[in-house]
Amino acid sequence: MYFTRCALNPARRGARALLASPHKLHGAVQAAFPPHAASATGQGRVLWRLDQTEHQVQLYLVSPDRPDLTHLIEQAGWPTTTGWDTREYQPVLTRLAAGQMWGFRLKANPVHSGRKTPDAQRSQRFHHVTVAQQTDWLLTRTDKFGFTIPLGENKEPDVAVRGREVVRFERKSATVSLSTVVFEGRLEVVDPDRLRESLTNGIGPAKGYGCGLLTLAPLRRG
Amino acid sequence: MSCLLLRLAAPLQSWGTSSRFTRRNTDRAPSRSGVLGLLAAATGRRRTDPLEELLELRIGVRIEQPGQLERDFQTARSLDGQTSMPLSYRFYLADAVFAVAVYGPDPLLETLTQALRAPAFPLFLGRRSCPPAGVLLHGVHDGDVAQVLADAPWLASKWVQKQHRAPTVTLDTVADCPATEARAELVRDEPISFDPRHRQYAWRSVLKTPVTIPNPMHRSPMPTAAQAGGGHDPMAFFEEPF
Repeated sequence: MYFTRCALNPARRGARALLASPHKLHGAVQAAFPPHAASATGQGRVLWRLDQTEHQVQLYLVSPDRPDLTHLIEQAGWPTTTGWDTREYQPVLTRLAAGQMWGFRLKANPVHSGRKTPDAQRSQRFHHVTVAQQTDWLLTRTDKFGFTIPLGENKEPDVAVRGREVVRFERKSATVSLSTVVFEGRLEVVDPDRLRESLTNGIGPAKGYGCGLLTLAPLRRG
Repeated sequence: MSCLLLRLAAPLQSWGTSSRFTRRNTDRAPSRSGVLGLLAAATGRRRTDPLEELLELRIGVRIEQPGQLERDFQTARSLDGQTSMPLSYRFYLADAVFAVAVYGPDPLLETLTQALRAPAFPLFLGRRSCPPAGVLLHGVHDGDVAQVLADAPWLASKWVQKQHRAPTVTLDTVADCPATEARAELVRDEPISFDPRHRQYAWRSVLKTPVTIPNPMHRSPMPTAAQAGGGHDPMAFFEEPF
């Protein structure tokens, strides 16, 4: 598995087209891998996330194969000065152990499925709407993902809900709408195997559209 | 012997010790004569009454919140509007807070506490236009002036404590010291008589010492969700030694 960071240059027209549509960015990310090659490891899948702050746009990528982002840098990066940064993921993943504390960030698409009316023919997915519903969505699943969220200072789970937005974009001739949310906080590793699974296979739906990539970072005091 | 702790706070205070003629200054801390005058007013002493009992009290001040110096340019005319009075400047401390420790025999402190609860004359902080605000009495504590001022909690306003983003705060204290002390300053605010016909003040030497006390509004920085997220750097995961 490989973990990659790539900075995008939002001043470029190519970058703006990609930032406007998760569908297009998904295509660009998929183009980082040759179409015919079978995955070397046979595990994990391609996951990506866009972290947009006021002054920078970072694309994070988790993939079974080493990506080649030349086309992305040429269209939407700084081709003459800045490349991308790819690291081997497996060696650090093996060092995850129960009891460790990490800061985490996860962009997810919290949904629940059900029937629109009691006599509806099919079941469909609905967005979770409120912060409480969305937080609850994460908290009820953490066991499955191999971690728990410890209680913070105010005796509440130490997770914050940051960017909540409903993204709409064109896919073929249809409009896709996704409700995405960024969870940030602290997690405690309970089951390292399950956590490795969540880190390489993603969490929740809409993984092709930039959701579900969980990243860990060391906790810093102060 | 113990200490009565007072909190002097008001929108405006003014503690002059060296004012003459048209320029009426203020010190940055309450003067001994000002505090004794306040206590004398509370107990119902008139200006001509003797002060002996109060002069035994020892007084120390801690500057909780320095406040801001304000200048008031004052004009006045005689009642018929014909003669203009001398133009004068009056200086005030705006939004200042002081902790004052009054050290003396327990029975006297008890009388003073009662008097401050139901003062005979209105109380004011240095000038008659400056009535005190907030809770004045903060109890009687064992120990001498220095000890009480070093132990008392920070009495500054909540917003000042919140704005001070550190676990401790260093405050200046002003207290009497022997005249032989090298760093002593001389102030002429030892009242001998408040009698308006012959006011008399003697010199006393004071020493400014800083004390460091905890800030009650300080919250220790925990790695909270917001902070962990603000600096979330997934690449640091690869450098971490585990």
